[in-house]
Amino acid sequence: MTLRTATFLVVLAFSAAAIAAPKGNVAAGKKAYESTVNSKGEAKAACSSCHGKGANQPLEGMPKLAGQYPEYLAKALNEYRSGKRKNAIMAGQVVDLTDADVANLSAYFGSLKGDIHDLSGHAR
Amino acid sequence: MMKPAVLFVTCLALSALAGPVFAKGDIAKGKTLAYTCTGCHGIAEYKNAYPSYRVPKIGGQNEQYLIAALTGYKKRERNHPTMQAQAQSYSDEDIANIAAYLASLKTK
Repeated sequence: MTLRTATFLVVLAFSAAAIAAPKGNVAAGKKAYESTVNSKGEAKAACSSCHGKGANQPLEGMPKLAGQYPEYLAKALNEYRSGKRKNAIMAGQVVDLTDADVANLSAYFGSLKGDIHDLSGHAR
Repeated sequence: MMKPAVLFVTCLALSALAGPVFAKGDIAKGKTLAYTCTGCHGIAEYKNAYPSYRVPKIGGQNEQYLIAALTGYKKRERNHPTMQAQAQSYSDEDIANIAAYLASLKTK
C-alpha cells in the first residue's frame, strides 16, 4: 500500500466514524428535556426543573446548556452515565437515558440560543 | 432514583446555600487570571485533541457552576489533564474571581 493510499483510507475511516456518530433529533430532545416521566414510565424530575426555561435560566450552581456544543454535552452526559463524572443529582437523572436520548438532548441544547459563548470577543 | 419532590427540594437547598456561603468574586482580578483560559476557550470551535470535542463555551455561564467546575478540577474529581493542571495553581479566591469574571461576560 502506498503512503497516499494509506492516508486516503485513514481519512475515509475518520469521516465514516464522524458520520456514524448518532445524529440527535431536536424535537425529541426538547420533549425529553421537559418530560417528568422516564423511559420506563416512572416519575422523574424534568431536566428543566433545574436547568430552567430554554435551558438558559438554571438554578444557582447549575450550568446553562443552551447553545453549548452538542458533543461536549454528550460527553458530559455519558460521563455521568458511566460514573466517571460524579454528581449526586445528575447520577440519578441519567440512570435511564439511552444513547439516543443523549444524542437528542445534546442536539436540542445545541440548537438553542442562550447566554453562553466562547471567549474570542474577550481576549485582550 | 430521587423522587421529583426530593430532587426539587435538593435543588432549592443547594441554590439557597450557594448564595451566602461564597464571597463575591472580584471581576477585575478574575479578568487578569482568565487570560490563560482564552488560549483554548477563546477560539471559536476550538477542538480538544483527544478525545475530540469542541471545548465548552464558558463566557456567561452560571457563576456558582463555574466555581464548582474549577474546584472539581482542582480536587481532581473532574477528569481533564489540562484543566486539572490549570486549576492546581488557583486558590479558592482565584477561582471565585475567575468565575465572577466569566459569568459577567455578555456576547460581543
